Amino acid sequence: MHKSAINSKKLKKGLRGWLTACPFILPGLILVGLFILYPMVFTIRISLSEYQIVQGKITFIGLQNFKNVLAGGSRFWYAYRNNILYAIVTVPFIILGGMLFSYLINNLKHGGSIFRVGFYLPVITSWVIVSLVFQYMFNNSDRGLINYLLVDVFHILDDYVPWLLREWSGNAAIWLMGIWKNMGWAMLIYLAALQGIPADYYEAAKLDGAGLWKSFAYITIPCLRPTTFYVMVNMIIGSFNVFIQVLMLTGGNPNGKTSALQYLLYDKAFNKFEFGEASAVGLISAVSIVILTLVLNKTFKLDSVEKEG
Amino acid sequence: MKQGKKATFYIGQALLWIFLLGALFVFSIPFLFMISNSFEEFSYVLPYPPRIFPSKFNFDAYKYVLELDLFGTAVRNSIINTIVTVVIAVFISTLSAYGFAKIEFPGRDKIFAIYLFTLMMPGFLNIIPQFLVLKGIKIFGGETGLVGTRAGLILIYVATNVCGHTFFLRNFFRSLPESLSESVLLDGGSRSTIFFKIMLPLSKPAIGTMSIFAIQGFWEEYFTAKVLVGANESMITFPLLLQRLNGQHATRWEWVFAASLLALIPIVILFIIFQKKMVVGGLTSGAVKG
Repeated sequence: MHKSAINSKKLKKGLRGWLTACPFILPGLILVGLFILYPMVFTIRISLSEYQIVQGKITFIGLQNFKNVLAGGSRFWYAYRNNILYAIVTVPFIILGGMLFSYLINNLKHGGSIFRVGFYLPVITSWVIVSLVFQYMFNNSDRGLINYLLVDVFHILDDYVPWLLREWSGNAAIWLMGIWKNMGWAMLIYLAALQGIPADYYEAAKLDGAGLWKSFAYITIPCLRPTTFYVMVNMIIGSFNVFIQVLMLTGGNPNGKTSALQYLLYDKAFNKFEFGEASAVGLISAVSIVILTLVLNKTFKLDSVEKEG
Repeated sequence: MKQGKKATFYIGQALLWIFLLGALFVFSIPFLFMISNSFEEFSYVLPYPPRIFPSKFNFDAYKYVLELDLFGTAVRNSIINTIVTVVIAVFISTLSAYGFAKIEFPGRDKIFAIYLFTLMMPGFLNIIPQFLVLKGIKIFGGETGLVGTRAGLILIYVATNVCGHTFFLRNFFRSLPESLSESVLLDGGSRSTIFFKIMLPLSKPAIGTMSIFAIQGFWEEYFTAKVLVGANESMITFPLLLQRLNGQHATRWEWVFAASLLALIPIVILFIIFQKKMVVGGLTSGAVKG
């Protein structure tokens, strides 16, 4: 009797909570349900099926798509490797560059905003545009800037290199573009974080005779640790979303050796119309990202929403 | 002694300037390259040597792009799509964020966890089912439902950004003190009073910052537009036009670069105007605290 009274009270309170919340959350909830959650369920279903989109026929085939994707000799493993390499190569440069430039800009008396905007410019330039420029810079003849500089100007190489057609130079172009495009973002985040470091730390260091570099090494870097983790987690997760660079620079050539998961997914779905396998790739990369996020958050004890929620 | 200190300071500043300018130059090479080449005339052959600095100021490429029939259409579509999307997306997300931050209801944290989870999923696989859902919405008539229409595109844009925006703004709302809203409730005010009279005005900087990032994102969005309205020339957007200039036959790079720069100008202006006012701190509020 008593218990049911509590229960009904709780129910009433819950109901009232929902009634209050509904006007606020319902529009978002409907959109998310219809265009995000339902599609996700659909994707899971397709990953277990053979899907002929024109006829709209869906045949259940179990884990066959996953088996095909993971089979030896498939392009999947190159793509997976490249995502990991992309993270390993680009993230340190993005973090170090972002930190260094934000620190230097922060120490400028005048004109900081010129550099702030200048270094941020690649971030606000669309991936499509940036890819077009890089495509042209890495052109395989003497007309590409890189070849011209290395062969004609500095005579470092004897012959023009078809950069985007080879495995490692193609990957290097993709990495370089990632670093160039994202460093400004890290810089902006660090600039905001630098405002939070008390000025007396630096003054005390100055009294002890520490210069710009010593202050950077012993005050700035340690104080920025939480921000560094934030940038790192974001960039590592972002590494699993590499797509347009691959699409526009190398197309995954030669033989998928410069591919990445998202590109593989795109290629399977929209060039080969293998939606089942594409969905399988999508799910595998989603699971990878979720696991990675959880591990990174745990490792670095990020004070994130998961904890609050 | 004091004089000496001052001199050291200015030398230090000068060295900093020189170093940063050098770095900025290297950083800007892709842009310089783009700008210089937009003044060239390629006629399908790339110039030799490749140019970082313009050899002339020839605006033919800009003229060509500006006079394209599709240019006006693309600009109009991109502006309308971006503005309408940002307004709707920000409004719906602000409402949601308030709900998740300040109202208690059963299952709140679970639903929010799902929102977070969707942020980690690679988005564009969803495009196929999204396409099918839009095709099924036939209340406005038409054989293909909302596919190929502006309404359909905007609907997808809004829906795919609700989770991220809600997440960003929820963090901000949570940082606002409870006391303000409590006094309104005590005075007999309603939730909507709190939302419109207190929360919205207080969160202007956060909403503004988010809107600018959103504007940039929608302005450059390529993939969804390609799939949903790519077949409908009257719905062409700026990024689709760029790809078109790049894709047809051999590339006329001066056209591509001129159009790219034209697309970039509004976004750069927006950032230069608002860069001082943006509250990037909100983006990292979770991290900076720890």
